[in-house]
Amino acid sequence: MGETKKVILRVKRQAGPKHAPRWEEFALNWRPAMNVIICLRDIAENPVTRDGKKTTPVTYESNCLEEVCGSCAMLINGKARMACSALVDSLPQPIRLEPLSKFPVVRDLAVDRSFMFESLKRVKAWIPIDGTYDLGEGPRMAPETQEQAYPLSRCISCGNCLEVCPQVNENNAFVGAAIISQVRLFNMHPTGAMHARERLEALMGPGGIADCANAQNCVKACPKEIPLTESIAEMNRQAWKQALLGWLFG
Amino acid sequence: MSAAATRPDRSYLLRKLHSLSGIVPVGAFLAEHFWSNSYALVGVAKYNEKSQELQTIPFRVIVEAAVIWLPILYHGGYGVYIWLKGKSNVSDYPWVGNWLYTLQRYTGLVAFAFIGWHVWTERFLTQGKSTYSDVEHALRNPYYLAFYVIGVLASSFHLGVGIWNFLCKWGLAATVQAQRAAGKLGATVGFVFSLVGILIVVSFRLNWHPFGHFVTLK
Amino acid sequence: MREPKIIVVGGGLAGLMATIRVAEAGVPVELFSIVPVKRSHSVCAQGGINAAKNTKGEGDSTDKHFDDTIYGGDFLANQPLVKRMCEAAPGIIDLLDRMGVMFNRTTEGLLDYRRFGGTLYHRTAFAGATTGQQLLYALDEQVRRYEADGKVNKFEGWTFLSAVIDDGGICRGICAMDMRSTEVKTFPADAAIFCTGGIGAIFGLSTNSVVCTGSAQSALFQQGVDYANGEFIQVHPTAIPGEDKLRLMSESARGEGGRIWVPRKPGDTRPPNSILESERFYFLEEWYPKYGNLVPRDIATRAIHRVVFQEKLGIHGQAAVYLDLTHIPREVLDRKLEGILEIYEKFLGINPRKEPMKVFPGMHYAMGGVWVNNEDQATNVPGIYAAGECEYQYHGANRLGANSLVSCIFGGGIAGPAAVKYARGLAQGCESTPASAFERERKRQAAMNEALIRQEGGENPIAIWRAMGELMTEHVTVTRYNKNLQQVDAKLRELTDRFRRINLSDHTLWSNQTLNFARELGNMLVLARVITLGALARNESRGAHYKPDFPERDDANWLKTTRANYSNGEIKLTYEPVDTSLIPPRPRRYDVAR
Repeated sequence: MGETKKVILRVKRQAGPKHAPRWEEFALNWRPAMNVIICLRDIAENPVTRDGKKTTPVTYESNCLEEVCGSCAMLINGKARMACSALVDSLPQPIRLEPLSKFPVVRDLAVDRSFMFESLKRVKAWIPIDGTYDLGEGPRMAPETQEQAYPLSRCISCGNCLEVCPQVNENNAFVGAAIISQVRLFNMHPTGAMHARERLEALMGPGGIADCANAQNCVKACPKEIPLTESIAEMNRQAWKQALLGWLFG
Repeated sequence: MSAAATRPDRSYLLRKLHSLSGIVPVGAFLAEHFWSNSYALVGVAKYNEKSQELQTIPFRVIVEAAVIWLPILYHGGYGVYIWLKGKSNVSDYPWVGNWLYTLQRYTGLVAFAFIGWHVWTERFLTQGKSTYSDVEHALRNPYYLAFYVIGVLASSFHLGVGIWNFLCKWGLAATVQAQRAAGKLGATVGFVFSLVGILIVVSFRLNWHPFGHFVTLK
Repeated sequence: MREPKIIVVGGGLAGLMATIRVAEAGVPVELFSIVPVKRSHSVCAQGGINAAKNTKGEGDSTDKHFDDTIYGGDFLANQPLVKRMCEAAPGIIDLLDRMGVMFNRTTEGLLDYRRFGGTLYHRTAFAGATTGQQLLYALDEQVRRYEADGKVNKFEGWTFLSAVIDDGGICRGICAMDMRSTEVKTFPADAAIFCTGGIGAIFGLSTNSVVCTGSAQSALFQQGVDYANGEFIQVHPTAIPGEDKLRLMSESARGEGGRIWVPRKPGDTRPPNSILESERFYFLEEWYPKYGNLVPRDIATRAIHRVVFQEKLGIHGQAAVYLDLTHIPREVLDRKLEGILEIYEKFLGINPRKEPMKVFPGMHYAMGGVWVNNEDQATNVPGIYAAGECEYQYHGANRLGANSLVSCIFGGGIAGPAAVKYARGLAQGCESTPASAFERERKRQAAMNEALIRQEGGENPIAIWRAMGELMTEHVTVTRYNKNLQQVDAKLRELTDRFRRINLSDHTLWSNQTLNFARELGNMLVLARVITLGALARNESRGAHYKPDFPERDDANWLKTTRANYSNGEIKLTYEPVDTSLIPPRPRRYDVAR
């Protein structure tokens, strides 16, 4: 019997936020339709490196495993993507796994993306309803508007658009494409539009929309294919119009 | 930042001003400059006549400062600040937009350095009375020639990408189709400027005046 | 007046709805969730949410929705609360619409409705093929708004370990672990609402998310909170087989006209598109002409099992059937089903618009769950409430598609105010509970962690989990035999013994996911036994519970709720009557008109 086919995995390990990173290599048994999550589970079941050293299971975030929860974003062969949909057979080996680099590392491949949720607060990414009591139906909406808005509302806050953005780094607290696109979504909704101004003001603050430099990496990296660059352009137009009005009549 | 802010933040305005200044007045001046210099392609006399006309406008220094020097200084200076805040990752993500992003920074720096040197040599060393022969003389130096070629290409590229960026960043080209069209427009502008710029340099260097035969008044 | 404090555990649809309602009442909420709430399992719900709005002139009504739900659930659900839910459903849709959910629209700008399993009406509102995600986000946004106002305090990345129950048997708070620092801490509260979702991980592979382990329910059960109808496990007929997860292929695929078939010739190896119409066996349409491909899930699942295992007609002899959408125009598919088709394409690399999908049933939903009363989601322990999939109240013996989202929001929506009312009515709140009660619970939980970290056994928790999952999937899902169920229980006890000798292989105290998994596994093993014992005892077939040795529903002996109780390490089953006061039970048949 021939040797079973192996999957070689190199994982960047980091015991905690203040520890130095190091690399570990694993050799796993190949099976059809394997993805990166399956590889990480194999390691958890038998945490032994390629050269036979005992180690610990790799810490990583995951939940839905069908690319709607946004948990398992990481760098796979240097590219930001979701681990659950990264099929082993489509990746050159050894497969390199690293944590996203634009967020603080918690441990191994797990990072802290609370910045994104804080940003959502900052731009008031919600429809300010009066209450949950029965106030009748919502506003009517043209199917065309829904078809434009729905793709935007599929953003899973994975952070890949921030990861690939050259303007997001330790020197610059740019909110990133995902949040700008959310502002567009809420400004598009008939009720949300009543409060468009507040959101635009937030976007015109430090780290806001002006920090976008149009590298357009975000739209390429988005696993949900959200038209992020359209959103940014659209929000840019809304923002400067409001800024001009504020300046003229303010 | 305070969520209660009622006016755009200063950094927003500075950034918008940076973007705008690249088109108006800096880009517009670049267009004017290429246009008036292309009189070299007509002939020495015509070129000198055109230069003289521009060198003798009223309020010259004020106009130069307001429309050319200060905007370029601001656009270049703030541009460097923006550069320092970004961190190119084109080696990880070698996508077209990302290349343009990175090249826009380097070409901006090259163009800024070239323009600074160009203004110093052709505006100040000549006391504002530069003539065809001054330029022609300078271009005899192969290093100056190379610098001119690089400077012209860098400025043209930077303007072309800048137009694309401007249209996207002001939301004038919002949809994917519109952005694609904006990209084509930027590429065309960059190409035309490069071509005209190189022709002008060649004209000085080789005393080549291909449109000279239209001149009837000698 | 003292200001009460309420804890919500779980940030899916039910938990967020409960949080919103409590915060709206002006009471501060602490919201605990293992994952950032926006990443909760509710995002996986695809097809839609039911409400009898009757917008298509079909004469639909909330009464018909109620009847479909009770009938679909094979009369095991207590009826009054289900009726209230169905009556509330149109209002829930309105609320979600106001919150900005991007539901699909008609040309008039009104919400569009599609058909779903177990009904003949267009009753299911939907937002593309990611309705659960859209609903969850809408509630997440409302909670974020309260959070920005300081009314909600989120503890994301914390896992629930146990309730703090005082000497009088009243819940006074919870004990939870910060999954980063592994710090164990108690949090006083006047009431705690549990919305901890599904239990898929007990079956190893399921359509559920990683966090759906049932660990919290089991921990509560072991502290005296009863668990009801555990044996009712829904197996979804159409999932995409996978090694890490069974990815759901929503019922909406059939709601939009998708057809299930297998080649008539056993072992036919031709590609599906070259098999003629006459050579295809549309078995659901032939066997159930009225409902066709939209029979309820238990029926479709058993039909697929019959075709594959008895008639040996699985595709290429494997455990799979075709779910075919290729006859539907591409633009319809892209507009209404894009999200789910994308999943198939992404994970299998095959375009379902051009080639029929291969699917097979997979464990999907627990109809059973934490026992709650018939009125306001209260459990048998004062101060503990439960809502959403983790409780048992709404779906009887089988859940209808697109009813889970409505039950989550309805249940969460009534649990919140109920907890507020209870907390405000308390003579003595959690602040008067002696600190020693909290400290005792904290120490007990911390000691369990320390023991797990320190012990050096030879067993791997993932290996035990896989063994449990295989056992449960094979014997405690679609078809159940008493002999097998007895063996499963014995094996679960063995696995529990092995669990006592596990080695974490990670003995650190920072972000140790193995520690957390081991805690969950211990709890899963208990709940697995509750499910198995409930199934073993129930000698009839009802809804999702099917025993070939007892193929008929037996209302005389088994029209009753199973109620499991835990004391002194023993699981005891008792039974209580089902409230069938509104619709008298009748035979459930989908092959003929009712």
